[in-house]
Order: sequence, then structure tokens, then C-alpha cells
Amino acid sequence: MKKFQLPNNFDYKNTDILKQFITETGKIVPARVTGISASNQRKITKSIKIARFLALLPYTDMHQ
Amino acid sequence: MNNYETILIINPNLSSKVADFQTKFEKLLTDNSFEIKKVEDIGRRQLAYSINNHHKGHYLLYRMQGDPKNISEIETKIKYDEAIIRHLILAVKDLSGEDSVLLTEALESKNKKSESTEESEKVIKKDKKLEKSTEEVSDKEDSKDSPTEVEEE
Repeated sequence: MKKFQLPNNFDYKNTDILKQFITETGKIVPARVTGISASNQRKITKSIKIARFLALLPYTDMHQ
Repeated sequence: MNNYETILIINPNLSSKVADFQTKFEKLLTDNSFEIKKVEDIGRRQLAYSINNHHKGHYLLYRMQGDPKNISEIETKIKYDEAIIRHLILAVKDLSGEDSVLLTEALESKNKKSESTEESEKVIKKDKKLEKSTEEVSDKEDSKDSPTEVEEE
């Protein structure tokens, strides 16, 4: 199984998929590590940022 | 006409009055000539970080169609509504009629909770059965042990 599974449609609500692409500290994993295409990486990044704003994903692990 | 997806996070303390809020908000949308395609009441959810000292939030999702001119009016109304702790209006290409992942997750966790209570009851029953069986075994062991003891004496 591939380490990074891409979703069929990019959705900020699907946190389980997005959680693969953030580190334990909440940072977005760089494309050089994920190895997915630049276009897909942009889509993932965008959905992670929306999910963070809606408090579905953390910005960092230092939240009080 | 554009397609929009609106997510509202409502103050968890007002979670019980969500139905009133929904009717109010839907009226606001229809007054601004928005056509509501789908409403999802996702319910209370743990926030990934605290917003205004709230650790939980009641999520609502609206899929709607309408005129981009009227979006700003809705945004100003939302801004001055203290019940809403966070909101986001997104323009989307297509409106899917399917349930969002968040809603299915929420429903699943609810089902699991009800199942787990049932399961825990079952487990308790099983434990009782196990206790009984162990008691029986111990009785047998005692009966076995006793003759050997006698022999030793």
C-alpha cells in the first residue's frame, strides 16, 4: 500500500485523508516527501488550509 | 447563479436552540433569493483548537445556489450574529446531493456509541459467565487437590 493515498475528489471535510499529509506537529508534508504531483499537492494544501480555518485540523500541536 | 457551500460553527452553549437558529438563517437565505439545496446538521464536534474559549462547536453545512451580489449581505449579517463563532462561504463547481464526510462520521460515531453501550452490557454478562465457569473449575481443582493432600498426610 502506498504511504500517501490520494482522494477521489479533493474535499476539505475529509480529515482522515488530509491527516496523512500533515506531520505530528501539524505542518504540511512537503511535496518532495509525499511524491505526489505538483497539481495534487496544491489541491491538498488548499484543502488542509480550509480545514484548519474550520478547526477540523490543528495549525500546530501547541494550541492551548 | 453560482453554487455555494456555507459552513457555520455555532456556539455549543446554544446547541439546543439550533432549530430556531436554522429557521432564522434559512429565512435570511431565501429573502436574499438563495435556493437551499441541502442542509446538514452535523452536530457538536470537538474543535482542533479553541475558538473564543470554546472547545466544542455545533457544525452546520448549507449547500445553496444564488446570486453573488447577495453574498456580502449575508456575510454582514453573520458577522454581527454572536451565536456564530466561525463561518466560511465557499464557491463550488457542483453541488453534490450526497452526505458530506463529516455528517457520515458523526452518524457513525453516534451508532458506535449506542452499540458500545450494548456491547459493554454484553461484556458484563460474559464476565459473569466466565466467573461462573472459573468457580466451577476451582471447585474441581479443590476436589482434585484434597485427596493428594490426604495421601501426603
